[in-house]
Amino acid sequence: MEKPDERLKRSRVFYGVLFLFLGTLFLLLFIALQSLILPILIGMISAYIAMPLLNLLRKRGVPKAVGVLILFGGFIFVVFVIGEQVVSLMPDEREKIELRINVQHKLNESYLGFLGKSSFDDEGNVVSTLFEDELHPVIENINAFLHLDAQEDSLYQSYVDKGKISTVTKGYYLQAQTLPKALANEKPEAIEEDVDRGNLIGNLGFQPENSRIAGLLSAISNWLVTPFIFLFLLFDDGQIKRFLIDLVPNRYFEMTLTTFDNVDAAIGQYLRGTLMECTLVGVSFLIGLLIIGFDIQAALFIGIVAGIANAIPFLGPAIGLIVGVTYAMVVESIDPIIPFVSGDAAILMVVILVGIVQLLDNAIYNPVVLGKAVNLHPLIVIVGVAGGSILFGFAGMLFAVPTIVVVNEIVSTLHRQLKDYFIIY
Amino acid sequence: MAIDYINTFWGNIFHSFSSQNEKDEIELLRRIPIFKDLKRKELKTISGILYERTYEQGEYMFETGQPGAAMFIIKAGELIINRKKSSGEEVELATLGDGEFVGELALLDNSPRSASAFVSQKTKALAIFRSDLDHLLEQHSQLGMHVMKKLAVIIGMRLKATNDLLLSLEEEVEHGKTG
Repeated sequence: MEKPDERLKRSRVFYGVLFLFLGTLFLLLFIALQSLILPILIGMISAYIAMPLLNLLRKRGVPKAVGVLILFGGFIFVVFVIGEQVVSLMPDEREKIELRINVQHKLNESYLGFLGKSSFDDEGNVVSTLFEDELHPVIENINAFLHLDAQEDSLYQSYVDKGKISTVTKGYYLQAQTLPKALANEKPEAIEEDVDRGNLIGNLGFQPENSRIAGLLSAISNWLVTPFIFLFLLFDDGQIKRFLIDLVPNRYFEMTLTTFDNVDAAIGQYLRGTLMECTLVGVSFLIGLLIIGFDIQAALFIGIVAGIANAIPFLGPAIGLIVGVTYAMVVESIDPIIPFVSGDAAILMVVILVGIVQLLDNAIYNPVVLGKAVNLHPLIVIVGVAGGSILFGFAGMLFAVPTIVVVNEIVSTLHRQLKDYFIIY
Repeated sequence: MAIDYINTFWGNIFHSFSSQNEKDEIELLRRIPIFKDLKRKELKTISGILYERTYEQGEYMFETGQPGAAMFIIKAGELIINRKKSSGEEVELATLGDGEFVGELALLDNSPRSASAFVSQKTKALAIFRSDLDHLLEQHSQLGMHVMKKLAVIIGMRLKATNDLLLSLEEEVEHGKTG
């Protein structure tokens, strides 16, 4: 009979090599399949959020398979119908060009009005004397961003020839040609690159491709994995967990089960809480904007964007504000429900609305829905969001905090459990 | 019909995990007082949350003071339940074998284990995790009520046995004093 020490040694070598091999494989796959990370993550998060609904259905006596199919139907409905709605609300190339011309005009108009000027060369009021030096570079940059470059200019002309540009926009375009040279400069390269990269949806994990169709097909095939992940995770009856637990040595068995459970509960609470909070913020925006007098399509779009962006701490409310104010600047007329609001005050009303929604969020939604589910230091949140945006763009910003929450929960729970089970000091 | 197909499809994917020793496990569960009077379907539900573990001789299943998270049912093998006295000396409280169970209090809360379970012979055990049971009971309230009632009865019986033991020890001490 061989010594138990020998067997122990061999076991250690075997598991060490296996761990190294799987670790390297996982890392390589992670790098190679980066474009799949976001679709997988979305599928997992959706399943996580849907899990309590499935439990509720099962509690009511609905068979699991039927429950999963109902939720899957709901998932497909949300993805396709609402997704389609959002995409249809997104401006196409012509609308984007029109939007930029309109925003540029309205911005300059509001800016000049604020400074008490009728043109950029005029003498302004007291605000102009005090702040113009600071404000002007900002306006210059925004103008540079909005200004059409040579290629976009020829595209604009082709739309004009086809009669697809409104008279108002044509007027704004002509006025933009009379702007001082500094304001009509070609945009810097960095900004140009940003614009080329496409819209918000385009940035959500889509890889830049040479051909638009190839890019679209690759993105669609990547996103096909999402419903499968959703379906498989909902069908799973603890088999995945059991498979992983089976790999754990006896000494860590109970500890791993407890860690799994605590992390699962905390992450579930956080994700569902965040979804609820974002929904409440989005609905508040929708109601507020309808009261201000925005049309329902615009209010719905801004509500959805503001709701999703709300998941990004600090920056989220600013995104809601920017989208809302931009629309208020561009919109020609509003139909307010409350009598004292006029079209001119739309921007101010949006700013007030953002303030009220933030107050509601911080005072009621967040404490009630999330409670103490997340207790991260603001510095960690800021660095995380910045890091996320560098690595994965907008999607990185959106998922930075959930990722930090998950990692933080795993590490802190594991540390506590290792101590409780006398494995570490 | 369609549901059966879906379940079969899923079952095939995880065939090796979902159907292993199911019959044996149900029979074993039937021998455990907590699950004794349950119907076959209910036992099957319980067997879905079992974890099978194999412990080598000389291992500890759990140790005194660790938070309890699972109850263990011995499928085959032998355990010695022991506890250290304040002097450091180990006292054997019980020896458990096939079909017996240990750590049932962990199904109620995570209070520390009151004794250690030492594996004196290679043991195969089935573990039930508290949280899994809680989730299951949430969905099957009748099954939950039955299990909890049985658990209360068993704990009550053990308390009664401890009281009897305490009384007999006290009587022994008194006899010793008078004798």
